[in-house]
Amino acid sequence: MITRRAVTKLALDALTWLVLALMLAPILYLVLASLQDNLRLSTGEFDLFHPTFEAFQRMWRRVDYTHFLMNSMVISAVAALLATAFASTAGYALARFRFRGSRPYEVSVIGTQLVPGSMFLLPVFLGFIWLQQNTFLRFQDTRTGMVIVYTAFFTPVSIFLMRAFFVAIPRDLEDAARVDGCTHFGAFVRVVLPAAAPGIAATFVYAFLFAFDEVLFASQLTQDDARTLPIGIRLFLGAHSEQYAQLLAAGVVSTLPIMVAFFATQRWLVKGLTAGAVKG
Amino acid sequence: MAVTTEPTEPTRPAADGEGAEADDRSERDQPPRGRRWGRSLRSRRPRRKGGLQTLERTRLPYGLIAPAAIFMVLIHILPMIGGWILSLKRLNTFTFSQLFGAPWTGLENYRTILFDSDNALHRGFNQALRNTIVYTFWTVGLTLALGLGVALLLNRPIRGQRIIRTLMLTPWVVPSFVMATLWQFMWRSDVGVINDMLVDWTHLLDHRPIWLNGPNSLWAIVIPSVWRGIPLAMLIFLAGLQAIPEELLEAAEMDGAGPFRQFRYVTFPLLRPLFAVQLLFGVIYASYQFAVPYVMMGSNPGPHADLLMTLVVRESFSNNLVGFGAAASTLMMIGMLFWVAIWYGAFRRDLELAR
Repeated sequence: MITRRAVTKLALDALTWLVLALMLAPILYLVLASLQDNLRLSTGEFDLFHPTFEAFQRMWRRVDYTHFLMNSMVISAVAALLATAFASTAGYALARFRFRGSRPYEVSVIGTQLVPGSMFLLPVFLGFIWLQQNTFLRFQDTRTGMVIVYTAFFTPVSIFLMRAFFVAIPRDLEDAARVDGCTHFGAFVRVVLPAAAPGIAATFVYAFLFAFDEVLFASQLTQDDARTLPIGIRLFLGAHSEQYAQLLAAGVVSTLPIMVAFFATQRWLVKGLTAGAVKG
Repeated sequence: MAVTTEPTEPTRPAADGEGAEADDRSERDQPPRGRRWGRSLRSRRPRRKGGLQTLERTRLPYGLIAPAAIFMVLIHILPMIGGWILSLKRLNTFTFSQLFGAPWTGLENYRTILFDSDNALHRGFNQALRNTIVYTFWTVGLTLALGLGVALLLNRPIRGQRIIRTLMLTPWVVPSFVMATLWQFMWRSDVGVINDMLVDWTHLLDHRPIWLNGPNSLWAIVIPSVWRGIPLAMLIFLAGLQAIPEELLEAAEMDGAGPFRQFRYVTFPLLRPLFAVQLLFGVIYASYQFAVPYVMMGSNPGPHADLLMTLVVRESFSNNLVGFGAAASTLMMIGMLFWVAIWYGAFRRDLELAR
């Protein structure tokens, strides 16, 4: 009996490691391939013992990668900041108050998730063109336009994340502050928000990740000035030559900031996500 | 990993597992934090504050939701209504310059999509609909099944548990556009590493299949989606598994239940709410998938991998058939409402238990 148990445990341990290897293999492959010479790569050959950083050096000149990266970073950061700011007050209201209209509001926030992005993209696209023709406002292919769109699109998710974090904060904190003479809003600003700092950071990182990875709007609302990474990176596969090594190197470089942000805040991210998921 | 909400258990003792570090206020008679306030919203708890503060209480929440609500109405709700209006217009290459002033056509766009069997758009829509259903079925099904499997594996004590759990999340952290370009590279028929593995290394197949075109191309988008989705599903299931009290499983074991029956009668019923929520959102997100086929195969992924979203975007923007795109989007949304209704009927009881 004991030996059978030990064998089972060993087999399951081995399976765990195997699964981990399978999950990580494509990422390892990405890194290894980005260290290869492009010519060799296009014939499918690999030389693991002579890695070269050539692709990493060339990718910056071949397409305007810096421009795309800056666009992505600025747009995602500003949009995530705005979405988090909106979400922190709205999420708090939904977490703490039961007010007339709170249920419809909650439902409409969830309801936005049912709407396909194209339903929202088409009128926004036409609206941007109309504004450009009739007013001085220029949103088509500008960072401002993308920030507005992303803020609107990622605010609902942020509200639900923030709500989950606020629900987890004990109400005694606010009650104590109010006994000491704070108004409720004062208590929110001075006591609750600082206590929710990890949640705010986590929501910001999530919104940033979503915006950084957004393809649908970026593909249609940007041409050149505001081109973001997900679209710009495809230029490595031009009509004349396919620079796979540089494409993959650019992929590695694009993943790095995301990975750093994720693993730096991982504890809060996981907590907020699981709490949010259970709450629905 | 602290889990702030447990699926179903008012009977849980005050000791709060790993997540109890902040519970030093000796509130022994109260349920664990998080839960307490989640519930107090719904119970008829007497209002403690009176007088002036009551007024503040009633106004404050409106002030708090106002910024988000106003912004969302302007940039989210109004455009959505605009999208619906566009679906009632004849907005194509010839009328595109009129923008919102294009002529009305009533339900013509809808009729074309649904019933006009001579029209290429009708056939394209049907095909994309079929592809999307197949894509969603396999992506969500495999992601949830494998995610649960991995979560069960990781819920066992194992050396290096922490590091394994963290590393297992990595695929999810890779942006999906990077993931799609990487897999596009790996799927290449003549020199791609996947065909190397299938043909040269293991001899499972005797010829190198074409992945990015033709009948295999739907799998070329399903498999990367599953690969990237597993970590999230695993994370959520793992949190649920950790919230299951040991005593329940021990009791089942005492009653003679083997591992499979323990899973069938104890673990899975307790995970059902988590399963339900992931199923709901998984189906929604998969049905609206755009990034993976677009990045991997361009704006026209071909008849076997064309999803509804790629079809709508292509017809609306490349072919300027905005009215068609808006009508198709509206139909997709109606389809989603049906899905939510079906889902709600199937899982209503689980949600009530989870509250």
